[in-house]
Amino acid sequence: MRVRILLTLAVAAALAALIIDMSGRAPRTAGSDHASPIIFAATVPGHGTLCQPAAYLPQDAAQVQILIGSYGRPLGDLRLSFLDAAGHEVAYGRLPAGGHEGLLLIPIMRIGRAAAGSTVCLRNGGSYRLALGGEGGAVNPNSEVVNGIQQPGRMSLVYFRAGKESWWSLLPELTRRFGLGKAPFFGSWTLPAAALLLLAVWIAALRLLVRGERT
Amino acid sequence: MKGALSPSEATGSPQADGQGARSVSDRLSRAGGAVAAWLRRVAAWLRRIPRAGRVCFAIAFVNAAIWGLVVPPFQVPDEIAHFGYVQYLAQTGKPPPQGPRPPYSAQEQLALENLNFFTVIGRPQMRVILTSAEDRVLRAALATHPSPVGEGGATPITNQPPLYYALEAIPYWLSPSQDILTRLAFMRLLSALLAACTVLAVFMFLRELFPGSPWAWPVGALAVAFQPTFAFLAAGVQGDNLLFLCATLTFLMLLRAYRRGFTTRRAVAIGAVVAAGALAKLTFIALLPGVGLALLLLTWRTMDSGRGTALKRLATSLVVVAIPVALYAVLNAAVWHRGGPTAGGIAGATNSALPAGGAVTLNQTLDYIWELYLPRLWFMHHAYFAEYPLWSTWLNGSIGHFGWLDYTFPAWVYTDGRYLLYALAALALGGLVRVRRGIRSMVPIFACFAVMALGLLGAIGYTGIRYRLSTGYPFEQARYIFPLVAFLGVFVVLAARGVGRRWAPALGGALVVLAMAHGLFAETLTISRYYG
Repeated sequence: MRVRILLTLAVAAALAALIIDMSGRAPRTAGSDHASPIIFAATVPGHGTLCQPAAYLPQDAAQVQILIGSYGRPLGDLRLSFLDAAGHEVAYGRLPAGGHEGLLLIPIMRIGRAAAGSTVCLRNGGSYRLALGGEGGAVNPNSEVVNGIQQPGRMSLVYFRAGKESWWSLLPELTRRFGLGKAPFFGSWTLPAAALLLLAVWIAALRLLVRGERT
Repeated sequence: MKGALSPSEATGSPQADGQGARSVSDRLSRAGGAVAAWLRRVAAWLRRIPRAGRVCFAIAFVNAAIWGLVVPPFQVPDEIAHFGYVQYLAQTGKPPPQGPRPPYSAQEQLALENLNFFTVIGRPQMRVILTSAEDRVLRAALATHPSPVGEGGATPITNQPPLYYALEAIPYWLSPSQDILTRLAFMRLLSALLAACTVLAVFMFLRELFPGSPWAWPVGALAVAFQPTFAFLAAGVQGDNLLFLCATLTFLMLLRAYRRGFTTRRAVAIGAVVAAGALAKLTFIALLPGVGLALLLLTWRTMDSGRGTALKRLATSLVVVAIPVALYAVLNAAVWHRGGPTAGGIAGATNSALPAGGAVTLNQTLDYIWELYLPRLWFMHHAYFAEYPLWSTWLNGSIGHFGWLDYTFPAWVYTDGRYLLYALAALALGGLVRVRRGIRSMVPIFACFAVMALGLLGAIGYTGIRYRLSTGYPFEQARYIFPLVAFLGVFVVLAARGVGRRWAPALGGALVVLAMAHGLFAETLTISRYYG
């Protein structure tokens, strides 16, 4: 009986902690261009533009995070454009002048369907140069282009979904993502199946512990 | 192979053909009978394992398999290199030749690039494939059927022996598809199976150690099964899984032989697990001094049944170890040409010369080994660690440094974990006092286990200082001490026993639930890290 009572309390505590943890609301990732802001990888002069190919814009992205340094000065007006393969703008974002340097979130407005192979451009509307966080590397077809000149490196773009969400509300999206990038027979059924298996494992372990008390 | 033909096979006459067919049929029938008898013996042996042990095995297997689903492909430490070794072995029939050539096949390289592997490891804010578009790009790349046969260039693990990789070649070939990710999914199940066997071995070890406390066996075994770092490694293609199993089986076999007698069969079993360990990962060599001491102890205790008998059993163990290990050394040097009998594995780990000139001294090595586990003493002039490794590396790493050591729990978890450890250590000490009468007779064999553990800890430090001074990077990871995972089970049981006989099963159960919750939150952390 002692084991049963203590196990019940312990399981209840664990489940309560899980519910609290899953209910925490925070901005959730929608993807990235797979470049981390580990260095300042580009300098954009005043009224200059940086463009970068292969910037796939995820369907659920509502804002994008960019590391921007302005050498201590207030930022000028920033405009971000996502262009499709034909050069038409499919989404844009704007940050009015007067902001401070750092990790900045720029809201994204959609005006068309963003396809793979998009290009992203950032226009520095201010008079002073900006440094953009990203990764270095040799010049390649996917490297950034500043004022028409290809530069080594890529600007980091980390996308976020709209607002703040709990893990519960993200669960359908997590279920979909969980089946990607794995063996082809996995799919959106995999996360629910794993959760059910884990539940079975917990029940088996608890039954074993309760029986252990009897022996 | 002409010389291998019998006269009847060589002549090919009808009569001879008929006799040959009968002979083949007889042989197949005899072989079938032998296999059936062997399976019956295995089934009988399995039935002798308590039901609770079999349930622990099943729980550990399913838990590790779930981890295998949660952790994205190649995100277990060094999984790319372990997979590369298996793929080369499975495709060519021999271990990688090493040397300065591409280490991975075109198929693996393409998969890694399209899984965004190189931009995800070490960058906790980066995610794996999150969109269907990225997934389609991956499938399209793999559909070009890049070659699965690589050149077998050097990686950090190509100088390891091939036993784990030979075993992994079985699911590699049994996979219903040649798709690399399907093969990886099947290969991960073998690691889960090895982890489940380790948990079963821990169960049997505790049964041997505490025969009068059946509640303790599943408590210790399940604490290991749900330990998140252990389960995380079991999720991937990782040679450590076989090392953990062989080390745990070695402790079990030695304890059984100590308690029940050093019979010929047990001498063979000890030799077999030690040979398997030595052919699984070179780290196992660090346990050998302690194993040797334990074999001498067992031989000495068997002297009552005759000096010759005792020595014969010792020799049996040694021969069973020596034959496969010697065969591996000869194959390495003479057939596979892998740069010496240990394929450069021991030379790589023990090289004292530093790239900038000079060499690692004995003094430095001893200081380093001490400071790796214990507080620095006043006369030690070398200060190698900014933080105390007992907490920062061993405890925090065991609580969980996941992925390619690129994501962790919030800091408070590690702080609270240390306080919990203090409490459990105090309880375990109390438990040790309570059970002292029952285990007093086992002090000699535990002294041998202590030598095995010290050998492992010393080897980690010996290799660690050479690596650190050569590369500037830390070497040590918590998983390196997991060959001693059986003693995690012992620790948990002793902690539970610390509250007295009446409450021990209840506290033991609560500690298992704590381990389960620890594992659950490690899984949600992993999901948020890669998919969230």
